[in-house]
Amino acid sequence: MELIGEQLIRAPRQRVWDALNDPKILGRCIPGCEEVQKISEIELHTRVMLKVGPVRARFSGKILMLDIEAPSTCTLSFEGAGGAAGFAKGRANVSLVDDGVGTRLSYSTQASVGGKLGQIGGRLIDSSAKKMADEFFVAFESVLSGKPEPAPEPRPVTPVGVFPAAPDASATGTPVVSNAPGSPSQVTSPRTSPFNGVGFQYELYRACWFALGVASTLLVSRWLP
Amino acid sequence: MKAPPFEYIKPGSLDEVFSLLDRYGDDARILAGGQTLMATLNMRLSEPQLLIDIGSIEGLRGISLLDGCVSIGAMTRHSEIEDSAVIAEYLPLLSMAAPHVAHRAIRNRGTLGGSLAFSDPAAEWPACTVALDATIVLVGKGGERRVKAGDFFLDLYTTAMQPDEIIKACEFPLPASSSRSAFLELARRHGDYAIVGLAATGRLQGGVLTDLHLVFLGTANTPVRARAAEARIEGNVLDSTVLDSAKSALTTELLPAADLYNGAQTKLHLAGVLMGRALKQLLV
Amino acid sequence: MADSMVVQMVVNGIRVEKHVEPRMHLVDFLRDTLEIKTVRVSCEHGFCGACTLRVDGDIVRGCLMLAVQAQDCEVETVDGASDRGDLLDLQEAFYKRNAAQCGFCTPGMLLTASALLRERPNATREQVREYISGNYCRCTGYHSIVDAVCEVLEVRRLAGVSQ
Repeated sequence: MELIGEQLIRAPRQRVWDALNDPKILGRCIPGCEEVQKISEIELHTRVMLKVGPVRARFSGKILMLDIEAPSTCTLSFEGAGGAAGFAKGRANVSLVDDGVGTRLSYSTQASVGGKLGQIGGRLIDSSAKKMADEFFVAFESVLSGKPEPAPEPRPVTPVGVFPAAPDASATGTPVVSNAPGSPSQVTSPRTSPFNGVGFQYELYRACWFALGVASTLLVSRWLP
Repeated sequence: MKAPPFEYIKPGSLDEVFSLLDRYGDDARILAGGQTLMATLNMRLSEPQLLIDIGSIEGLRGISLLDGCVSIGAMTRHSEIEDSAVIAEYLPLLSMAAPHVAHRAIRNRGTLGGSLAFSDPAAEWPACTVALDATIVLVGKGGERRVKAGDFFLDLYTTAMQPDEIIKACEFPLPASSSRSAFLELARRHGDYAIVGLAATGRLQGGVLTDLHLVFLGTANTPVRARAAEARIEGNVLDSTVLDSAKSALTTELLPAADLYNGAQTKLHLAGVLMGRALKQLLV
Repeated sequence: MADSMVVQMVVNGIRVEKHVEPRMHLVDFLRDTLEIKTVRVSCEHGFCGACTLRVDGDIVRGCLMLAVQAQDCEVETVDGASDRGDLLDLQEAFYKRNAAQCGFCTPGMLLTASALLRERPNATREQVREYISGNYCRCTGYHSIVDAVCEVLEVRRLAGVSQ
């Protein structure tokens, strides 16, 4: 997949550059971003919930900044794993040029999408990527120009579950940003069922049933003559 | 692959549906025909917590001839539209398009509402609703509202529906007696996603076409109405000059993206070919 | 895991009642729970047609239907249709024309062809090819299948005319 475009951003170049390097701002602009973690000056880890049509796939990704020439150009190398849905990787060359009172941001991206999304979604990858890029820039522009962003829809969540629920930043609408290289801080929100897909909690549940089965088998076998 | 685990509920009323949507938000999916949703779940491209089966809700099915329009319920199966004598008589465009929707086994379960809500770029029904100036009837907690087809399909898999709404029906105005329709689609194999398709309607009066609607599918994220091409043809006798002029107008308003199988130029060329064929059919 | 539900339906004329997980496909229910092995599980996203079944008289993709959606329905697999004698002329033609090799696609192919005979009794060869294009076959190259279906159409048309 190739995506080439340019955007006029109404802010001075240094500000645009700084914003592109600010994980908090990126977290607010990347569509579906749930978490951004700054690992080092040139490395970011993100978790993004991809929502295109019926698809809901969580990607954990890594972004590396290379060939940095502040505040003009850099290359972003990215890769992401989306579980059963597939994976993506690629590169984007970004360059900033002064343009009147603003900045002209040009990007040229090459990416490949593999796995189920690549197979089934092949005909839609280009248009989905373009759509996400457009959404990113709309958000980026409004963050930089100080316009109030549309408030995320609050969703009342019914608390419950026997086991602690998996963290879900999307329930609150704001991505979690952290700088610690260790376990990132997380927003815990209860969900209506503990078993959203597979995960540690689900494995624990299965392990408990297995243990119960073993225990009851042993007990029963002791009682047999 | 097998679908991930989820809960399943089949509510008997719309109120129940809305209260479930309120509670679960994006974690619930509406199950209508399931021909797209089940494929998505089977491929593990989504793992919703709850499926809300709307198959038992009253008032969502059926094809009715009302005053001035034909109303098709959202849960009406594609095959019911295909086989309907009422549709064949009043909305022949739909009868022409129906056999192009996947295959018969899928048409026996898939629904009109599902297709419109999903809004695939290569789907047949969205283009047909735009070509027929249909109105989509939505229903939510706050009641019903109507959206014209031309304003309904906004972007890739994005419609004017709010997250707490479902489609109730689609209303098609009764066409005039001078109306003509044509539906054409090109695909590698029958039943494949369209490379490019055209839903065309117009009025034939005195040997010329007026009130033309040329709506292309498969050329953009949503159905595209080729107004510039329409303007070149309306009111003129269709000869090769007029047709060429319309084809060149098409290149300014249709901007298809290349995909794995066909380049942008190919799709544009094919769109022009379909337009020529459709116009000939409209003139019969 | 979601709680299992009780589902009741009539399968090949016999009333059944079983516990199923909501996510269980109709094909897996028939094949694994009811042990009807002529039901095929293949692409699991509706393309190949091997899972084609009859539900309430109409052909459907068994992989795109949940067992719980078949509640109170009449489900018929190729066995049921065959036992009723519903596929006799098709089966004879398939045999005569060598339209089945490994047999994997055959149940779906027969049910689809049977629906065609009912819905398009005047189908041309081209229309037959279009109609069965939702059923993939990896062995025969399709010609023998199309020949068999066209033969049945022809025989039926002639029989209709002579009556």
